[in-house]
Amino acid sequence: MEQRIIKYAEAIKEATKQILESDKSAFLMGLGVPQGAAGTAVGLKDLFPTQVLDTPTSEAALTGMAVGAAISGLHPMVYHERVEFSLLAGDAIFTQAAKWNYMFGGDNPVPVVLRIAVGRQWGNGPQHSQALYSLFGAVRGLKVVIPSTPHMMKGLLISAVKDKNPVVILEPRWLYQVKGHVPEEMYTEPLDKARVVKEGKDVTVVAYGDAFVDTLAALKLIPQDISVELIDLVSINPIDYQTIAKSVEKTGRLLCVDSTNSAFSIGSEIIAKVAENPVGLTQAPVSVAAPDVPVPTSPALSEFWYPTKVDIANGILKMFGKPLLDIKLPFEELHLAPTTTLE
Amino acid sequence: MLYLRVAEQELVQLYLDKKLFSMVHFYVGQEAVAVGVCDALKPEDKVMGNHRSHGHYLAKGGNFRRMVCELLGRANGLARGKGGSMHMIDKSVNFIGSTPLLGSVVPLATGVAFEQKYNKRDTITTAFFGDGASEEGVVYESYNLAALYQVPLLLIVENNLFAINSKLKDRRAPGHSLEKIVSGFGIEYRKADGNDYKDVTTKAKELADFVRREKRPAMLECITYRHMAHSTPLMDEKYREVDTLEERTKQDSIAKLKVELLAGGTKESELALMEAELKKSVLADIQFALESPFPPKEDIYTDMYAE
Repeated sequence: MEQRIIKYAEAIKEATKQILESDKSAFLMGLGVPQGAAGTAVGLKDLFPTQVLDTPTSEAALTGMAVGAAISGLHPMVYHERVEFSLLAGDAIFTQAAKWNYMFGGDNPVPVVLRIAVGRQWGNGPQHSQALYSLFGAVRGLKVVIPSTPHMMKGLLISAVKDKNPVVILEPRWLYQVKGHVPEEMYTEPLDKARVVKEGKDVTVVAYGDAFVDTLAALKLIPQDISVELIDLVSINPIDYQTIAKSVEKTGRLLCVDSTNSAFSIGSEIIAKVAENPVGLTQAPVSVAAPDVPVPTSPALSEFWYPTKVDIANGILKMFGKPLLDIKLPFEELHLAPTTTLE
Repeated sequence: MLYLRVAEQELVQLYLDKKLFSMVHFYVGQEAVAVGVCDALKPEDKVMGNHRSHGHYLAKGGNFRRMVCELLGRANGLARGKGGSMHMIDKSVNFIGSTPLLGSVVPLATGVAFEQKYNKRDTITTAFFGDGASEEGVVYESYNLAALYQVPLLLIVENNLFAINSKLKDRRAPGHSLEKIVSGFGIEYRKADGNDYKDVTTKAKELADFVRREKRPAMLECITYRHMAHSTPLMDEKYREVDTLEERTKQDSIAKLKVELLAGGTKESELALMEAELKKSVLADIQFALESPFPPKEDIYTDMYAE
């Protein structure tokens, strides 16, 4: 049977529609949500007028309100168009939602879902294209996932709404137009498990979000005789160290990819944990990440900020002492969001 | 009110004896607000509080024994020892939680009230917060949200004249008017003498009825005096101008009620007996808490996520 192929943004919308239909305590709120929220909520206001709310530009209050509604048993989904906007709600996210169940000794669920768009977008620069993954990964009490494909996006969003805890979905907006197979029916994906996407025996490569999609492309650039085990990290809070350790024990090598700053990155956290107990490790782990400066706006500069598929491929090749690639990528591939179809 | 006063006075002793291992903000002096407001609510109405919520919790029908267990970090406390004084919670009396980040309670309570509207309930939500918290940006945002979504929220501002030790006049522009601010959002506003039980409870009842009937937010600002320091039981005086010791003593809501009761025919000895019985009960609860077990160390790792 032919597989149904849809876009990442469409997978969000489809999951949201099915959630709003099947769970009357669920609702979606955020600035501009009735107008479509970057293609992730188009037309939903007409279908569910009481379950889709536009909001004032008051991130702190609207997020706090969603947390309050969640402690009363509703299932709010909050959409923040940029991670920078969500920081205005830092108290509600990091200090209220994340601590509520613990500080009251349990039995106080906070089933709120925060959908937060992160990362690269052409010409958006230092204050509109941060990812801040490690910030969300560091705060205890949250569950934080980064869907790398349309399939994962739909399954993780449905799991997030069913979960009793605050779940942050960091959505790389770079992936909104990427296509892939998505089943029509409702299904869930585990919120706390990394997935081994491709088995291999020579090196473990861990990636997530847009870096995962770039890594898939990078694997096509390296010779067949390097056998890569590719792990989609999925969750950065908590991190599934078990799956990573098991893989590293087999391959003996580890390379982590982050599409954001190297300092305090998810990759450096994973490398540190593996180094504490380096069972089977035969070579120093490698991090491929962005330089430790803010994201510049000019394409002449941002071209050298984001790690590309060539940088990732070269990271792997270097581990095996192979000659490096010298490929100049076209402007479109460097600076415009991909529309590729994932296998 | 007397119960709140007696209970906290005994907590002061525990604090001074260094047995109370939790940051504490005493409510002494403000009792007329918590009791006046909670007396105007129905048991099924929800209440949320702030860092200074012992009084709010007890006035909502809370259990002092479980509260003091929490203050002493015991396994049988309200939050099994993980919260302490700033984290009162007891859903059995519809006390939904208190949280010490200034102003945080207002958006949270807006959400709790949003659920009451969403599910067409006949109950309302009350949020207690102070004059300091009312200066936080998120609180202004929440006024707008509560009015925009028309949620059944009763806002109680306990204006004790100080944010920690900072005076109102040093924090607010001349001509600042909370009434004008919230009225501008379409929120019904009243002011009460927070040192007078009858004034508080009469106006709280009016507003609670209004919120329940009209399904929209209202605010009661209560001007009151905090008898002790911000977070210790010291009777500190140096920064006070209006609420001097003499003025606090004169305006004390409990002393005023006593005068009224005596004038109404209650005997001095009856009042003394009542106070002695309250004290006995409070001391028994404190003794129970002191003998209660601490949580096992494994509890560090429990409850981060709800199952």
